[in-house]
Amino acid sequence: MLRNERNFGSPRDRVDGRAKVTGAAQYAAEFNAPDLLHGYVVSSTIAKGRITSIDTQKALDVPGVLKVFTHDNRPATAWFSSSYQDEVAPPGTPFRPLYDEQIYYSGQPIALVVAESFDVARYAASLVEATYEAGAHETDLKLARAAAYVPPKKRQGMKPPASKGDAMAAYAKAPLRIANDYSIANEHHNPMEPHASTVIFEAGGKLTIHDKIQGVMNTQSYVSGVFGLPASDIHVVSPFVGGGFGSGLRPQYQLFLAVMAALDLKRSVRVEMTRDQMFTFTHRPETINTVLLGADKTGRLSALRHQAVAVTSRFEDYQEVVVNWSGILYDAENKQFDYRIAKVDTYTPGDMRAPGAPLGTFAIESAMDELAYAGNIDPLELRLRNYSTRDETTNKEFTSKELRACFQLGAEKFGWSRRSPAPRSMREGRELIGWGMASGCWEAQFSKTSAKAVLTSDGRLEVGTATADIGTGTYTILTQIGADALGLDMEQVTAKLADTTLPKSPVEGGSWTAASAGTAVQMACEALKKTLLQEAQKIEGSPLADAKYEDVVFANGRIAMADDAGRSLDLSDVVRHSGQSEIEEQATAQPDSKVQAQYAAYTHSAVFVEVRVDEQLGLVRIPRIVNAVAAGRIINPKTARSQVTGGTVWGIGMALHEESLTDHNLGRFMNHNLAEYHVPANADIYDIDVIFVPEEDDKVSPIGVKGLGEIGIVATPAAIANAIFHATGKRIRELPITIDKVLREAA
Amino acid sequence: MPAIRQHLRFILNGEDVSLSDVAPDATLLDFLRIKRSLKGTKEGCAEGDCGACTVLVGRLGRDGLVYESVNACIRFVGSLDATHVVTVEHLRGANGALHPVQQAMVDCHGSQCGFCTPGFVMSLYALWMRHARPSLAAIEEALQGNLCRCTGYEAIIRAAQAIASYGEAGNDPLVVERAAITERLRVWRDGARIDCGGRLIVPASVDDLAAIFAENPKATLVAGSTDVGLWVTKYMRPIEPAVFIGALDEMKRVETHDGVLRIGAGVTYSDARKILGEKIPELGKLIARIGGEQVRNMGTLGGNIANGSPIGDMPPPLIALDARVLLRKGSERRELPLEDFFLAYGKQDRQPGEFVEAIHVPLPAPGTRLAVHKVTKRRDEDITATLGAFAFRLDTENRVAAIRIACGGMAGTPKRALGVEQALLGQRWCEDAVLAAMERYADDFTPLSDMRASAEYRMLAARNLLMRVYLESVSGKAPVTIARDVAA
Repeated sequence: MLRNERNFGSPRDRVDGRAKVTGAAQYAAEFNAPDLLHGYVVSSTIAKGRITSIDTQKALDVPGVLKVFTHDNRPATAWFSSSYQDEVAPPGTPFRPLYDEQIYYSGQPIALVVAESFDVARYAASLVEATYEAGAHETDLKLARAAAYVPPKKRQGMKPPASKGDAMAAYAKAPLRIANDYSIANEHHNPMEPHASTVIFEAGGKLTIHDKIQGVMNTQSYVSGVFGLPASDIHVVSPFVGGGFGSGLRPQYQLFLAVMAALDLKRSVRVEMTRDQMFTFTHRPETINTVLLGADKTGRLSALRHQAVAVTSRFEDYQEVVVNWSGILYDAENKQFDYRIAKVDTYTPGDMRAPGAPLGTFAIESAMDELAYAGNIDPLELRLRNYSTRDETTNKEFTSKELRACFQLGAEKFGWSRRSPAPRSMREGRELIGWGMASGCWEAQFSKTSAKAVLTSDGRLEVGTATADIGTGTYTILTQIGADALGLDMEQVTAKLADTTLPKSPVEGGSWTAASAGTAVQMACEALKKTLLQEAQKIEGSPLADAKYEDVVFANGRIAMADDAGRSLDLSDVVRHSGQSEIEEQATAQPDSKVQAQYAAYTHSAVFVEVRVDEQLGLVRIPRIVNAVAAGRIINPKTARSQVTGGTVWGIGMALHEESLTDHNLGRFMNHNLAEYHVPANADIYDIDVIFVPEEDDKVSPIGVKGLGEIGIVATPAAIANAIFHATGKRIRELPITIDKVLREAA
Repeated sequence: MPAIRQHLRFILNGEDVSLSDVAPDATLLDFLRIKRSLKGTKEGCAEGDCGACTVLVGRLGRDGLVYESVNACIRFVGSLDATHVVTVEHLRGANGALHPVQQAMVDCHGSQCGFCTPGFVMSLYALWMRHARPSLAAIEEALQGNLCRCTGYEAIIRAAQAIASYGEAGNDPLVVERAAITERLRVWRDGARIDCGGRLIVPASVDDLAAIFAENPKATLVAGSTDVGLWVTKYMRPIEPAVFIGALDEMKRVETHDGVLRIGAGVTYSDARKILGEKIPELGKLIARIGGEQVRNMGTLGGNIANGSPIGDMPPPLIALDARVLLRKGSERRELPLEDFFLAYGKQDRQPGEFVEAIHVPLPAPGTRLAVHKVTKRRDEDITATLGAFAFRLDTENRVAAIRIACGGMAGTPKRALGVEQALLGQRWCEDAVLAAMERYADDFTPLSDMRASAEYRMLAARNLLMRVYLESVSGKAPVTIARDVAA
């Protein structure tokens, strides 16, 4: 385990800051190639049915148009639908763009117009005319849920926990009872960068692809599987990704279309999505939870039943963890869990920041809040009375769980003890004031990841792995870890990411990257140091000739005896004497299966919120939030705080703003732009205080890190809804809580 | 007939640009990214919502060379004659260092994914040029039009507050170049009409515009392009021939004659905010909640009226103030009450070839109380769900001597609440009268449900606004804007 490092644990500036503030950072649509062609996507206007004819002649007549690809004329691709499976595909048949005349959802790509310039492609696309035979579609979960089913094939790790006892019987006998539905709207990721792929066609038919993707290996294997190219002919390089939040986990259709066109026309092609088209692929699934709680008069749970039903597409069974969170946070003698999905005519939903967690947590933590009022118990006290000390859902001990400290430090910082318990009891001016809280957790995952560490003859270190930095700060923390390992300044270290020529890594997601890639880089650096010592000992008259690895230190660009700094060698001299231009080592980090069999690992948070509600107009604002997080060791407080702040703001979005509204008549998302799909703006954000609770954990990962990308959002929506109840006496169980709902609900 | 020039010219960062073959619907963003490979300026939404494409446009005005932030995605190249366009690539500090704005953003961790970052940098740069040490309110206002999906904004605000500690304005490229740029732009303002193949026309004067439009009544008039820009980027509607009127100085005049404020139709929201805000503070506060700074720097009062939107924010308060609109066709002019200009949804009393030349706003009589409330789902950068504008006067016996109420988002046009007014006129200004009048909203309006709010919400909120205005008027406090007031 690392200790007393110079950079690990320190608030370092992000190493890619300069590239970003100068506009020099290049995103997928910004790589150029000679004679680059531009593709523009034509989208289906119906939600279900088939294309009866598609007239492309007018588009083809526009000077500068090379080809219009449709299902009628597309080049052959892989025969089996399984070849379209990507690394994170759920069970089912992946969507195959331009495969045939069938329409599965509104906005489905039905043609790609390829032209010499972007404006020509865009204009010509407007001339493509499709006629359809429309089928009867269904996009409303409230109706589709009648046909909900337990997914026959589980997505990995997505099984609801086993039931125990008789939840209904215990509920019937319980003195305190809560039973309600809690629903969350469809949401779209809307990273600031729209999805895009630039496919550069090189001599000999090799491809270099710049894709908006959270894992270049996934792009490579997808293109290889679909188009039958050897992986060695597909070089994917995506150094900067303008936000992902899950939308870039799976290769999206613009990649397929760009590669198809490039291979067919033997030219380089770029396909960029418009903001509207960002609403024509993955999204967070609309979900309805039903929670039933039974407790004794002290609030101790005797019955816990958590059911959920969520939308999926006609062609894939997307699944996420929604109901398990209740069982991880709380134990009850009798419990029952059920998770179902219902098919609707949209694209397949997908992982979106903390997939499933804020949905299930909104339900259980709202229900717990209701139970607190029913039993006249302080909401925080109620949670302490039901605090789980082991993960009953998997029957494992926690690697660590400092949620109690999160409660304590968060409550102190917030001033929770000064809360007046009754709803509608706090007011200032025309605003009602409410204080609410909630807790949450997210699985601290660790995924097999390889990395390299290279020392060059000028004494610089390069560390690399194929994973992405979607803005989280991966470049920066890997630079910190590499610098500490070799005793160099961060300026002497370069981190390389998002390139298929780098050692293999899974997609960047699930908050596992810091722990996994961080450990892999750490291990590669350790291997490199051993090799460097061996090389140093080969030098004639080496002052380190008889040194053991344990006896040397790497500092200030030198290897030296720990007890005799005079006996040392310059690292660059070691490389030069080795006869090589550089010395490289690789290592692969993977989870310890024995530890995993015995322990469950989670990041925890306690969120405290103050809201102010203008009841005459239904306006809600959130002057302050305290989010106390226990996430193991923090590599970089600056990037870490930014992750949790950003995640908390996503929680504000889910609570108050974000909602992809469906016109069920058309089967289409209506607010497909940033004017009507509201993400929080600066004016919605006041004071957000992030506390990192000290948490030592030597089991979760070799570097003691748990990951932070998801935890910020998890408990925030529930805490906000609970605060709104405290302010107004209105219990709103449908997110987002818009001005309409605040005004409509009766207190 | 003025002299005719067949090309337009502007300065892009440090380089002179002269274009004769330019499409009327060519946007500045496409020009930068596609034609000039200046990719620091990003496209996030193509409709002026997200600010990722923020650049500065410098223009000679009354106060000399002024740089303003704009959304390049909906700004047409045709509007750029005699301007200086500045992109993030032009920013630099002394001796290869980062510019203070950029360095502060790095040090304060103002970016994560970085895609919105150049836009934030440019918005902060525009602010920094005006105020080296801006207040928090000024910072928040400068950033209203920039969305960030990663950082949660806080770090960006801290960066903005820290800029002053990173160096002085003296080394700034735009300060260093100022005299030379000013001189070049002055020379370029030659008073000619620009005509690029009859498709793109920039009139030399308002008279020239009147002649051109009378002759080509089907031409698209483009003022700030915050609406027309979307016709192009969202709907690919053809706009040629397009007549760009945003730079006509005569249309930017504001004068007061006999208690009437005469506002040129080309006055931007930003300019109006300063001028109107001084005379009628409630309007200044309202304008601060229209779009973001980039949109306010482009969009015009005349455009907000001429497009006839039922959710335009300026018409209701202007109707409440009994404003009149001055229309012109050729050399003919006519004036009519603004409320009569809006005939039905999408239909205005405007003849082919006729355009809005000015708006005449009577300054409120002494004792007039004015309240304007814009209600939206999201505090900033949102389209109105409902808007209520109230102008009224009480006599010495506390009776309502005069009252005009106009609403937005409640009907197919901006519309007066005549029934409500009637119920109050001559009545004592008391809670009972207000409660009775609130019932009359149902006679005046049948609002629709849409994505922004339900019909029930609109009705209830509109009525509650009247009660709010009453309560505020009797509490002795000035009407205050909803939630946080960034202008405070």
